[in-house]
Amino acid sequence: MSICIQVENLGFSYGPQVEILKNLSFEISAGTFLSIAGPNGAGKTTLLNLLSGLLKPASGSIEIDSKPINSYSVRQLAKKIAVVRQEFVPVFEFSAVQVVSMARTPYLGALAFETNTDREAIAEALEMTDTARFADRPLGHLSGGERQRIFIARALAQQTPILLLDEPTNFLDMKHQVGIYDLLKKMQIEKQKTIVSVTHDINLAAQYSDMILLLSADGSYTFGPTREILTTERIERVFGVQTFSAQTGQTRFFFPLGKFTKSQSSPPGF
Amino acid sequence: MTDLLTPKRLITKIILCLAALAVVMFVCSLVGTQKISLSAVFAGPGDTPGRNTDYDIFVRVRIPRIILAALVGAALAASGVALQAILRNPLAEPYILGISSGAALGVMTATLAGISLSFLGGSPMAAMAFLFAIGTVWLVWFTGHLAGGSTVTSLLLAGVVINAFFSAVIMLMTSLVDSEQLRSTIMWLMGSIGEKDFTTLLASAIFIIAGIAALFTISQKLNVLAFGAGEAQSLGVNPRKITLVTFALASFITAVAVGLSGLVGFVGLVVPHSVRLIFGPDHRQLLPTSALLGAAFVVICDTIARTIISPAQLPVGVITAIIGGPVFLILLSRYSKKVGTLR
Repeated sequence: MSICIQVENLGFSYGPQVEILKNLSFEISAGTFLSIAGPNGAGKTTLLNLLSGLLKPASGSIEIDSKPINSYSVRQLAKKIAVVRQEFVPVFEFSAVQVVSMARTPYLGALAFETNTDREAIAEALEMTDTARFADRPLGHLSGGERQRIFIARALAQQTPILLLDEPTNFLDMKHQVGIYDLLKKMQIEKQKTIVSVTHDINLAAQYSDMILLLSADGSYTFGPTREILTTERIERVFGVQTFSAQTGQTRFFFPLGKFTKSQSSPPGF
Repeated sequence: MTDLLTPKRLITKIILCLAALAVVMFVCSLVGTQKISLSAVFAGPGDTPGRNTDYDIFVRVRIPRIILAALVGAALAASGVALQAILRNPLAEPYILGISSGAALGVMTATLAGISLSFLGGSPMAAMAFLFAIGTVWLVWFTGHLAGGSTVTSLLLAGVVINAFFSAVIMLMTSLVDSEQLRSTIMWLMGSIGEKDFTTLLASAIFIIAGIAALFTISQKLNVLAFGAGEAQSLGVNPRKITLVTFALASFITAVAVGLSGLVGFVGLVVPHSVRLIFGPDHRQLLPTSALLGAAFVVICDTIARTIISPAQLPVGVITAIIGGPVFLILLSRYSKKVGTLR
């Protein structure tokens, strides 16, 4: 498989005192599902913004398909990478299908009207995300889970080889969390997309991703196959919390243990 | 898939709005202090000038004034649409944001500096109005961001304060104007549509139509930009470039409109909001239809202004403010609750 995203000695800081990322290097091949995990403030979203070209690196380089990210125009990059951020309600009452149709912006001609090819891409994206039945409703009238599916549909209609997602399941209930990740996995398998998803949910990462990049708040990181990287010791070091791990099938899950975890010796109420 | 705009649908709606505008302009041209008969108008100017007063009033007074009102309405409504999109704020409007007073300050400065009040293409006054307008946009945007991000209320607050400041400077300048000019200056500041010569009308029409056409070419990008700069960039739109172009074009057509009619407020608020309720938020459609219906709106307001206390006349800005003020307050109370979800 060809190298799809290559990051070398990447560094970024918000001002001289706040160094978020330093000397970060990793590469993933096309068709990989990568999770970027870590505690709050470790720079997960910053890294995503660097990968999407929204922020410029302070040092180091990012290559997309073996070409430096800054050699792409905004329009060219939008044909390579689609980004899904946390769902939100836009100010104006765009309908769901109008939102999805905006994915075609980098492909539109001078008059900026959707062609039949554009319409097919939009219809297919609605179909895959199972959103066609509420496509005509305003985005603000949908539930959080439905809205997030619409933003994912938009990313699909953009027809990019790479999909970046920033905590796509934040604020969603368990059923919708799994629903969104099932959908992403389907994109990876059926459409051979490269998926990069930022999450602080270690168990979603454990269950779905092939590779994981674990960022610590002190700027260090670990990168490798998910099964090898996720251990109770490492999670305690990175997240600062003890976990209990259990395995079902091929996946190992981790449950955080707090101070008041009920043990057999403690009296009821503790 | 029923919801997407096609060129055919757009053209149908534009023709509908054009027809509505034509009807409004025709009816309003017949309304006025002086009753005129159409048959007299069609009889032509007669052999000697001044013989056929009906014709003279219709062709030399009513028609130019209605065209002027239409131009002002189209410019202000289109400017409102564009500003609302890039500021992601349904309450943005050239008058409320202080852009109109910025342009007016430019005109006043040019006037006091001794440049004549005629509004011709490329005259120093037009350039001053444009420069002041675009400077104001930047100032409002910059202070609004300092005051708390791109939230609905911080931008409006910045606009209101800058508006108040510019109004004070304009007052100061007004007191320096000699008494002969005073009344016309005050009427102009309150937003009034009077007689303008044919060259002024033609030049303004070209500027305003060109400005709106230029905005139309980026209207699909305005859709995307309404979701925020980051979202726009991931969808292949350069947010800085489009924002700058839009600021410039919106300031330009606002400056032309202010040069024509002074401070006419709330048109850019009332019209786009109503059009969005009817046709939806797609800017490819919202921009041209708002411009046409904005033209019709100001023609109607101006007809009210020149007939309601006839034979005297009100400034048209009074009528638009009486309609627009309450609409603004309703929208403010509705959208302030949404502030937290804006990006």
